[in-house]
Amino acid sequence: MTRAQGHRPGGIHVSQEDVRRLCEFVYRRTGMWFADNKRYYVDRRLAERIAATGADSFLAYFSLLRSDANHEIQHLVNAFTVNETYFYREEHQLRCMTSDLLPSIVHGKKAGEPIRIWSIPCATGEEPYSIAIWLMENWSEVDRYNIEIVGSDIDTRALEAATIGIYGERALNRLPPSVIGRYFQPAGVDAYRIDPGLTNSIQFTRANLVDVEDMRRYRDFDIAFCRNVLIYFDDTSRRSAAESLYDCLCPGGYICLGHSETMSRISPLFRVCRFSDAIVYQRPEHADDGR
Amino acid sequence: MTDVEKLLDARILIVDDSSLVRLYYRDALQKAGCEVEQAINGIEAMEKVLAQKFDLVIVDVNMPRMDGFSFLRALRRGAPDVATLPALVITTEADAQDIDDARAAGGNFYLIKPISQPDLLRHVAVLTGAPT
Amino acid sequence: MPFIKSKLTQEAAPQASGASQIAALSSPDVDTRWRAARALGGNQEAVAALATALAGERVPRVRQAIITALVRTGDDASVAALLPYLRSQDAGQRSAAIEALQELPEGILPFMTSLLSDSDSDVRLLAAELVRNFPAVHATRLLCGLLEQEQHANVCAAAVDVLAEIGTPEAFPALHACAERFAGTPFLSFAVSIAIARISDAKG
Repeated sequence: MTRAQGHRPGGIHVSQEDVRRLCEFVYRRTGMWFADNKRYYVDRRLAERIAATGADSFLAYFSLLRSDANHEIQHLVNAFTVNETYFYREEHQLRCMTSDLLPSIVHGKKAGEPIRIWSIPCATGEEPYSIAIWLMENWSEVDRYNIEIVGSDIDTRALEAATIGIYGERALNRLPPSVIGRYFQPAGVDAYRIDPGLTNSIQFTRANLVDVEDMRRYRDFDIAFCRNVLIYFDDTSRRSAAESLYDCLCPGGYICLGHSETMSRISPLFRVCRFSDAIVYQRPEHADDGR
Repeated sequence: MTDVEKLLDARILIVDDSSLVRLYYRDALQKAGCEVEQAINGIEAMEKVLAQKFDLVIVDVNMPRMDGFSFLRALRRGAPDVATLPALVITTEADAQDIDDARAAGGNFYLIKPISQPDLLRHVAVLTGAPT
Repeated sequence: MPFIKSKLTQEAAPQASGASQIAALSSPDVDTRWRAARALGGNQEAVAALATALAGERVPRVRQAIITALVRTGDDASVAALLPYLRSQDAGQRSAAIEALQELPEGILPFMTSLLSDSDSDVRLLAAELVRNFPAVHATRLLCGLLEQEQHANVCAAAVDVLAEIGTPEAFPALHACAERFAGTPFLSFAVSIAIARISDAKG
């Protein structure tokens, strides 16, 4: 096997085999796979992280990564994912919600019965507000049931920002102008305020996914959006969080993860469901429990 | 490469938690003209099988989080387009129990690892109905 | 706005005591056992009861919850409770055990030498995988020790897979010897060559 020349970011030599080793590690931990034609993408981010950590060789960096010193796995994963939050992010899941999840959920429900939807983590509120707006814009049955949307996060400052509800233009980029017109008011330079009626309709709470006690307060959710957080937890925290999410859902309830995430790296508790717009996960109905 | 060059157009999912095993199989299958996807456990395998069409799944028995037999049982309970996917089961034991388990779970054929690339290709050719 | 808020954030019913949760592990009701297992993570006094419960539990999600509770406690007794499942005839039980033990590298450290020389080749194979989360130098030593004695191709393959990720140059002699011993097993030759290439390149 020939020894391929790696590029030299700031003098640190990284070989092809080093990159393969890193890619396998990332794949095993997160499910993200970078085929040979995407390796340039990995090279750049690896170089950034080596520089950021001050590692003096690939080996030193890899050792640091494996021990997850200073949450390096999280930093590396962050480097590979788009972390920006905005309205209608991962719209295909919102579409899946109205096309497939809700019809399944309301199958057993009468008019006026509750439908509970959870956004956790909700960060600065874009996700729960997006859910609300999407439902009003796209679900003909939105008035037929008592829909409850809860947004939870561990970060109280983010929650505060969510209840204030002011966003920059960039966050609104994916929204059609008509939608912006209906739910937002200009509030200064590069600032829009979301309709206070919406803010008052959503319950924002502080919650810690890893705290079993904390999670006991949350029950009977039909859908949970738990995007781009589990990927950052260590294995034990993932197990615990997954069990809590299972517990917080109704039997038959659904959970949506972030687009780079997969239950295969998190927990075997959920069923994989394929719909035309998305793959989501389901807490089994009662009858499936003993399988 | 002998009489198995005509494996073009076969899409194969390799399910094994060992990266070197996946690399070894992938190496042989790609050279034979197959398109290859991978998974490290039964849950990821199910996600991939639901998202894409495959002609064959090669599945190891021993994997963390969801083993090969559990995956096969879940596969066979699925929608028709997924439930009929041919499965080559790779076990580590030659004993009768594993063979029975492989059949009972819904495997179409089993092999005992470690497998050589020529052996793998021969079996893949048979299970994908490629001319040999 | 068509949305409602309910009294979600009322406090949940006060948590039952450890002792009553331990008792609840043997409830005939699945959800009761599930909740009990979830509540007992980190509780050292509950480990023995959790171990007993695990032996008899048939519902997969309750098994998962019991295992999570043991992992969260993570003491010697918890590790000892999980180890026997490496020998299970049931692939699902083995895979749950290995997944749990992978999260406890410090906990399994005292058991590694004996696991790597266990008379059961399946146990040795799984043990090799457990070494992956150890620091590189120690892991290399353990795996070289295994490779030097190992006659079973699949156990060697498992060790080589881990060495390909974390091995140091100290592994070269054992790897070369392995390739020679298994010259008739093409996969092992392949695996060893990859491991050697990865370790060699990382010297640079």
